[in-house]
Amino acid sequence: MLSPAKNLYLLLKNKYVLILVLLISVFTSIGYAQEDVSCYHCHTKVVSEFRNNVHYQKGFTCADCHGGNDQSNASVISYNVMSGNFIGRPNRNNITNVCSKCHPVETNDYKMSIHWEQIKKGHPEAATCTDCHGIHEIRAISDPNSSSNHANSPATCAKCHSNKEMMSAWYYGIKTDRFDTYKESFHWRALDKGYTLVATCSDCHGNHNTKSHTDPASTTYLDNLPKTCGKEKCHPGVNFDAKIASGLVHDKESLHTGELVFNKSNLEPQMKDYYLGPFDLAYWIAIFFKILTTGVIGIFAGMVILDFFSRIKIHKRW
Amino acid sequence: MPGQKLLEVSDSELTGDNTMGEVFFKRFTFNQLVEHWAMIGTFMLLVISGMPLKFPDAWWSPVIVNLLGGFEMRTLIHHTAGIGMVFLGVYHVVYHVFIDKESLLERNVWPTLKDVKDFWQTIQFYVGKAEHPKFGRYSWKEKFDYWGAFWGMVMLCVTGLVMMFPFVAMEYIPYAYVHLSTIIHTDEALLATLFIFIVHWWNVHYSPEVFPMSKAWITGNLSEEQMKHEHPLEYEEIMRQMDEKSEKITFNR
Repeated sequence: MLSPAKNLYLLLKNKYVLILVLLISVFTSIGYAQEDVSCYHCHTKVVSEFRNNVHYQKGFTCADCHGGNDQSNASVISYNVMSGNFIGRPNRNNITNVCSKCHPVETNDYKMSIHWEQIKKGHPEAATCTDCHGIHEIRAISDPNSSSNHANSPATCAKCHSNKEMMSAWYYGIKTDRFDTYKESFHWRALDKGYTLVATCSDCHGNHNTKSHTDPASTTYLDNLPKTCGKEKCHPGVNFDAKIASGLVHDKESLHTGELVFNKSNLEPQMKDYYLGPFDLAYWIAIFFKILTTGVIGIFAGMVILDFFSRIKIHKRW
Repeated sequence: MPGQKLLEVSDSELTGDNTMGEVFFKRFTFNQLVEHWAMIGTFMLLVISGMPLKFPDAWWSPVIVNLLGGFEMRTLIHHTAGIGMVFLGVYHVVYHVFIDKESLLERNVWPTLKDVKDFWQTIQFYVGKAEHPKFGRYSWKEKFDYWGAFWGMVMLCVTGLVMMFPFVAMEYIPYAYVHLSTIIHTDEALLATLFIFIVHWWNVHYSPEVFPMSKAWITGNLSEEQMKHEHPLEYEEIMRQMDEKSEKITFNR
């Protein structure tokens, strides 16, 4: 009969058992380390997401946004946590109140945007802080994985702006082909190949205080375009007539696909003079090159084939 | 063609030997050869660095961009080669219009009615219904190559410069025209690329007649045999002129 200590020793001498014991102890210690907030007991997924949050890395916890007491323990966790100023999940209209506690400047900028305007009008689905920055997984904007990173801006905006149901439900007239038409631009083609120093949505349309291009205060308003394109890091020193270099960039770039999506009837009268000619010209030039390329290559490739077969038949040409 | 050296005779006059050396016919001057080499270099760089942008969604597009050293390097290569091609085009026109002494109208490169007839006769020859047409200094294919490249160079250089300096261009022309440039530039480039790779390379590389390649682009010369086959009218003309000029040199016809 072996003593219990001897028995344990023999068991641990088996290297597989030893490894298993070590792994279990490592995992359990990790598990306990993650329970530094009591919310983790129930909201495992959410708290795990929060580990990637730049706020977590700077020492903020659940209670800083949600209120309550996240350091309580014992059997009445729920009751103790949801005490005091606990707000739970903030209403979409009130998310700005949570963020403005620490980010008043950004919130003020945001409150000048068309997104906030729409929320005030009773469209709570319009973008608020969390739609661009993420909810629990807010990363620093310099982080390449951040949804609000400059290079990820097209995908982030397209979440809503390519969604036909959302766009037509709230505010009739917002076009849903903005990302697709942006993809025809040089900016996207460079960005797509990893060159991030190009303009994305937010560089032209602004970020927190984005406005409709019809608003004279908008960065994409016709008269403001030279200033927007001529930003120091983009095209400094540009000097062009904004009227001839219009802001209808997205529509023109749809022409690469060969279809005329531009609705001329919506044009302001003074714009028609500038655009109708070149527009039709661009369309017909695209058609012209299709015919020219197909024709020339077709005829000459046909002759190459004829040449090839004539050699087989005649064998000796001269 | 006054002032132009029509053929090179090796050794015979120097050694006083009466037997003929091999006769070469001058096809391209050294100046033309250098222009063609510069054209090959810039054209290849431009195609490789430009096509990934024409077809951004193709699987090979990011592969080529990475091989070139990233997007910024691709752009640098494309711009540098493009500027090189602009200079080449300007040089070509300036040299052959102002410096070359030959009268513009007398040049063989202008299209003629005979080229249209030759074009039709060539098709008939391919289907076995006619003799092969007899070409002069430049066949209709070569003229088409030249003028195609000429038109392409003008289009690509102008639209390329507009796209390279869009905001300078926008001081004079509407943005819509800048956008037009991207359509013309890429479509014309695709046409040029397909034409060079399929048609031009068939004529000078793949065709059994010249395979693996016609050496005229390196040496600038054609052999007597090639000359008789490919440019019989020019060959006869040269022989007639040589006979008139000098009774001393005799050729084994």
